[in-house]
Amino acid sequence: MPYIKEERKETISVEGDWDIGGSTTWKDSTLLQGYAQGLKEKRIIGSLCPGCGKVIVPPRNICGRCHRKMDEKVVVSDIGTVTCFVISAPFAKGKMQVLGMDPVETGLVGEGERVISVYVKLDGADSNIDTELIGAKPEEVYVGMRVKAVWAKERQGKLSDLEAVEPLRD
Amino acid sequence: MAGRVAIVGYAQSHHQHDIQMTREDMVFEVAKGALRNAGISREDVDTVITASTDFLDGRTISNLYTSMAVGAYLKDESKVEEDGAFAAYYALMRILSGVHDIALVEAHTQGSVVNPHLVSSYTLDPLFERQYGFLNDISAAALQARMYMNKYGVSEEQVAMVAVKNLMNAADNLNAHRKMPDVTVEEVLNSKLYYDPIRELTMSPVSDGACAIVLASEEKAKEITDIPVWIEGVGSCQDGYLRDRSLYKLDSLQKAAQDAYGMAGVSNPFAQIDVFEVSEKYAHEELMIYEALGLCREGKGKTLIEKGMTGKDGEIPVNPSGGALGADPICATGLIRVVEAAKQIRGEANGYQIPAYRALAHGQFGICAQKNVVFILGSE
Amino acid sequence: MRNVAIIGCGQTKHSARRRDVNLAEMVGDAVWNALEDAQVTPQEVDAFTVGNMQGFGGVAQPEQWLGDWIGAAGKPVLRVATGGSTGGCVAQAAFYAVASGLYDIAVATAWEKHSDSKEPGATTGLSHVALGNTINMINCGLSFKHLLSMTLVGAAAGVACYQAMYYMYRSGSRVEHLDMVAAKDRRNAAKNKYAHLQWPGCTPEDIAKTEWVAYPFRYGHICPASDGASAMVLACEDIARKRCKKPVWIKGLAAYSDEENQIMSEGAGGIGILDASQQIGATMSAIKAYRMAGIRDPQKEIDVAEIYQPFPNQELIFAERLGLFDEGTAWRALEKGETDINGRMPCDPSGGVNATNAIGSSALQRILECALQIMGKAEEHQVPKEVHNAVATGWGGATNYIAVTVLGDSPY
Repeated sequence: MPYIKEERKETISVEGDWDIGGSTTWKDSTLLQGYAQGLKEKRIIGSLCPGCGKVIVPPRNICGRCHRKMDEKVVVSDIGTVTCFVISAPFAKGKMQVLGMDPVETGLVGEGERVISVYVKLDGADSNIDTELIGAKPEEVYVGMRVKAVWAKERQGKLSDLEAVEPLRD
Repeated sequence: MAGRVAIVGYAQSHHQHDIQMTREDMVFEVAKGALRNAGISREDVDTVITASTDFLDGRTISNLYTSMAVGAYLKDESKVEEDGAFAAYYALMRILSGVHDIALVEAHTQGSVVNPHLVSSYTLDPLFERQYGFLNDISAAALQARMYMNKYGVSEEQVAMVAVKNLMNAADNLNAHRKMPDVTVEEVLNSKLYYDPIRELTMSPVSDGACAIVLASEEKAKEITDIPVWIEGVGSCQDGYLRDRSLYKLDSLQKAAQDAYGMAGVSNPFAQIDVFEVSEKYAHEELMIYEALGLCREGKGKTLIEKGMTGKDGEIPVNPSGGALGADPICATGLIRVVEAAKQIRGEANGYQIPAYRALAHGQFGICAQKNVVFILGSE
Repeated sequence: MRNVAIIGCGQTKHSARRRDVNLAEMVGDAVWNALEDAQVTPQEVDAFTVGNMQGFGGVAQPEQWLGDWIGAAGKPVLRVATGGSTGGCVAQAAFYAVASGLYDIAVATAWEKHSDSKEPGATTGLSHVALGNTINMINCGLSFKHLLSMTLVGAAAGVACYQAMYYMYRSGSRVEHLDMVAAKDRRNAAKNKYAHLQWPGCTPEDIAKTEWVAYPFRYGHICPASDGASAMVLACEDIARKRCKKPVWIKGLAAYSDEENQIMSEGAGGIGILDASQQIGATMSAIKAYRMAGIRDPQKEIDVAEIYQPFPNQELIFAERLGLFDEGTAWRALEKGETDINGRMPCDPSGGVNATNAIGSSALQRILECALQIMGKAEEHQVPKEVHNAVATGWGGATNYIAVTVLGDSPY
């Protein structure tokens, strides 16, 4: 019988290393590079599905709904609508680390600051992009808020060229 | 079996090292290809079963990003975390249950993502063998080879002959990865030694590849195609852990094969099955597989290879496609065997066709072929 | 189709760190308990289906090592894994194994042992879901600030955060309702001896005192990472009627995949889903499963639901997707106490995933808890009414996998 049911006493813990993350090499498409290059000219590129006509930003290769390749690229507006938002807890020194750095210590966010992450549906797109909302207080953000892109002053064809979005005021 | 299930379409990639495609594109191509081959569209599919593993893919929930690529959007989908032949086995169960009629089965691995031999050491008992640090799939296979060879007096030349046969066969197969039309026994024996007696040419290459098939219930299969390949029998079995089994033979494969034979009404596989497609990750395993499949008595696998009976023009051709030694995109390997067996029955194996009415396909997974699944395919 | 029934259930105690057992022993305990409950010997089992998220425990293909502990050597073993819904898919695989006619008795077992990984908790494994995509984004010049905001609301909690916001926006519910769900689940868990986070007498006010993770989630809302295993014995009709006084029939099941809902999607591209609380796959699965089960009006015919809810908003969303409440009204039913253990439509009387989350096992546990309710073996958390039909869900991936299983006390 393989089963021997018994009361077990405290066992020992055997330490070992199993993280194999460092030795992986993924293949990824070059679509995102093209998207980042477009940002240099303030162009936000999406891919158009020939089946359902949806425009997906950032571009992707395959429309899962139609099971078709999305080869055509289109440019969408840099103005859009907030479809959802999440507000972080107030930051504090020593509370959390990202990539081994303390965001407050490095000056990235201020003590007690609350970062607002938003999903924005840009005009002309059928998908959300995930970005940060600046220029508004946490209590001011609402679903349906009109926002526009905040561009970096010197754009280098990187994802960071599209810094954030801010409320659209006319 | 209560109902009958047939393979009605298939596709596979051109297996190679370091393929210049993302996994999603690779999966998309074979899924589309299999549906096109079957002459159906994605809308006809009821259920999708994929095979890949988190460790080999280097990402948790390995099917997360490939679900849409395979065409599983709003389909009853599941993932089998082992060889693709097990995915076909699960899809077969799903159709036999009567809940689904048409299943798309897909399997892929890009061996270039993570070194699969590194991954294999993570399958070991974490409290003992892994800490010991010596064993991985290659060294365990070396132990297996030595035990088998010592017990039955098999020489390295005889093992090398398996590699020569399969690598030469692979040369005729467009999809194979390692093609060596002029390889000789000497060349195999002089190839790089990993763990004695495992050499570069007696173990499978690390390939990137994908494979997909479409399965259908009897009624649907007859609507879809004129040349259905029927699944006559299936068997699956897992062996005990490495320490707790006899390494010199493949008990679990033997049991799986017996189950499959019983279901298909095969009493004499040597005479009743025309062609065999087996997953031999190492050359010596093919000899062990001959024995486990009941093609010869225990320890007599060497005679079959020496007499050339398992060659392309032998009495029982084994791996005319080149087998796993020809291409081994790990999770896809077993499913590729199913496809190659189906190709033989449909008469579509260009360049390595063997007149076949009944074929056997075998998939394995785990260290020293711990898990096995056997399919008997037929044209009737 | 052959009728398939659950004839035995087994689970282990769940806690943050099960240091008294190793992985194999823990799974062995669950399987043994299930076999004992079903009065089936290991030799009689024809097939096994197993699953977990192998990245979380650091063992690849663990069933190959622990097969001997559960008596699987020399038997067919099928490993199924689909993220959070793994357990549900494992149970469904066991159903298909028996329903196909290939096997008569099958054991489904699923487990997770988070504490075996170096960083206790699910973080190590989960960061690997999209690590390749994230690295690609960093290579394309993702700013550190953006990475920070992604990390904050990243991984599963992130999608769920947005999902909660979408639901609250659409239905008019508030954070207080999340507090109420979490409090109810922790109270229920206190009655379940196998559960992890037990908090007798927990009130929504207690939950509201915990710190914010990111609005709208507080620490009190979020599931723990548990160690634990669960197992079920499934059998065909003949055997089930012979062996079991009250077999629980699997009447309907489905697992429809949806588009993955993560901004860093395939090739780091976008996705076509605009509303993360939409969950079309869940609606489709529920429709299919109910049709198979012959259930026309789930609001009347379903007696208890076990919903996979690592985050409290999901209990509300999926209760609606399962048709237990009208669209956008689950939170009103919650306010009225209808989802309480003694309410009209008890949801997660076991405490659910919100109180116990051994990821691979969680979705199997939902089915198992439904079975216990129907068998009348749920002891302290048994709902105080007759249970004829129950529904269980599993949820996984980036909101894209769902496994719905409908169970009943009769096969028809």
